[in-house]
Amino acid sequence: MAVIFLDSNKVEQLRNTLNNDAEFKLAARLMSEDVLLEVGDSSCIVRVREGVVTEIKLAPGSDDHWSFSIKATAESWDKLLQPSPPPFFTGLNAGMIRGNLQIMGNLEVAFAYYWAMNRMLDIMRQLQNK
Amino acid sequence: MNKGGQMARFESITGKYVNIEVQGIEYRVYFEESGQGIPLLCQHTAGAESLQWRHIMNDQEVTSRFRVIAADLPYHGKSLPPESVEWWKQEYRLTKSFFIDFLLELSHALGLEAPVFLGSSMGGHLALDLALERPEEFRAVIGLESAEYTPGFDIIWWDHPRISGQLKSANLYEATSPYSPENYRREVGWVYSQSAPPVFRGDLYYYSVEHNVTHKLDQIDTSRVAVYILCGEYDIASTPEQGRQAASQIKGAKFIEMKKLGHFPATENYEMCKGYLMPILTEIAGA
Repeated sequence: MAVIFLDSNKVEQLRNTLNNDAEFKLAARLMSEDVLLEVGDSSCIVRVREGVVTEIKLAPGSDDHWSFSIKATAESWDKLLQPSPPPFFTGLNAGMIRGNLQIMGNLEVAFAYYWAMNRMLDIMRQLQNK
Repeated sequence: MNKGGQMARFESITGKYVNIEVQGIEYRVYFEESGQGIPLLCQHTAGAESLQWRHIMNDQEVTSRFRVIAADLPYHGKSLPPESVEWWKQEYRLTKSFFIDFLLELSHALGLEAPVFLGSSMGGHLALDLALERPEEFRAVIGLESAEYTPGFDIIWWDHPRISGQLKSANLYEATSPYSPENYRREVGWVYSQSAPPVFRGDLYYYSVEHNVTHKLDQIDTSRVAVYILCGEYDIASTPEQGRQAASQIKGAKFIEMKKLGHFPATENYEMCKGYLMPILTEIAGA
């Protein structure tokens, strides 16, 4: 099963859900950044402007800029998005500790909006299992 | 009844301040206690405070047999930095030497006779350091999330001028188990958003740098101090494998893996934690 943020039939649902989620709106309210989400060689960019997800762009090109990336294998994303994820897959840091997930790029920005990113992961988990 | 006609519900926990001298410096220390009986001295996690122990302090099954005590370490919670030190000119760092001396001074000031030590995370690490270095002071140590050595957590992002406490809150939330009640998981995160900026990282200096009992644990004599190590299945910092490995080197120590619990068992899901902890407390009380 494709991860929700790379599924062209579901990214709009993901964008709308994030934009209607009270916690994500609170956590991301000052965020205006582009985030690259990678599953192996596939990816998308989540564009956030002042807390609003304006676009989830599939298959971005080399001229698409991003602040930081969150990368994991398909197998790791599958575990991260399980309803009750196994140990070391409960969140971004949990994934990083054992090298199951990498955050790269501007880490200062990534950690400034860590709460928003973890909430985004929660939302993706909910929708992935609906 | 209060004026509004509603019943107010008081808890049995009381809080006090005690002024104690540790390594030549006086500290005004806040502590809470509840219950009567065998002293049970509880140590909070890094970057946190005594309120993490509110569940066990409100548990009559425990407080009917144990005097449960939990303090805020200096620089934490209601224990301010010392008045005699220009602390604003120094980087805050918790050392093993201070941590041990503080616990012992507090224990002596409160007149505790052969207390049981119960520590979580860095408190779990301290349980092993106390058993190794001051076994005569305690009848038993219980380490929640103990390990021999946990390097790698002393990172700059915990105390960076452009990163808020939200990072700590969100990060430690995910150190809890997905099976724990959401409100208590969020409480763990809330507590971590409260500490002064340098405190969590400064505590991790002990947790991740100074605490290292590799190749020393076989020196612990459990005929002098009983040792129990309990680790949550979902702990990402001190894993069950690490706890089991530590316990295996201490002759007579007992290890328990706590299924479906994370790094903060006594806070994130006390009822489930109690299922593992209560038989140990009963064993200690009966010894």
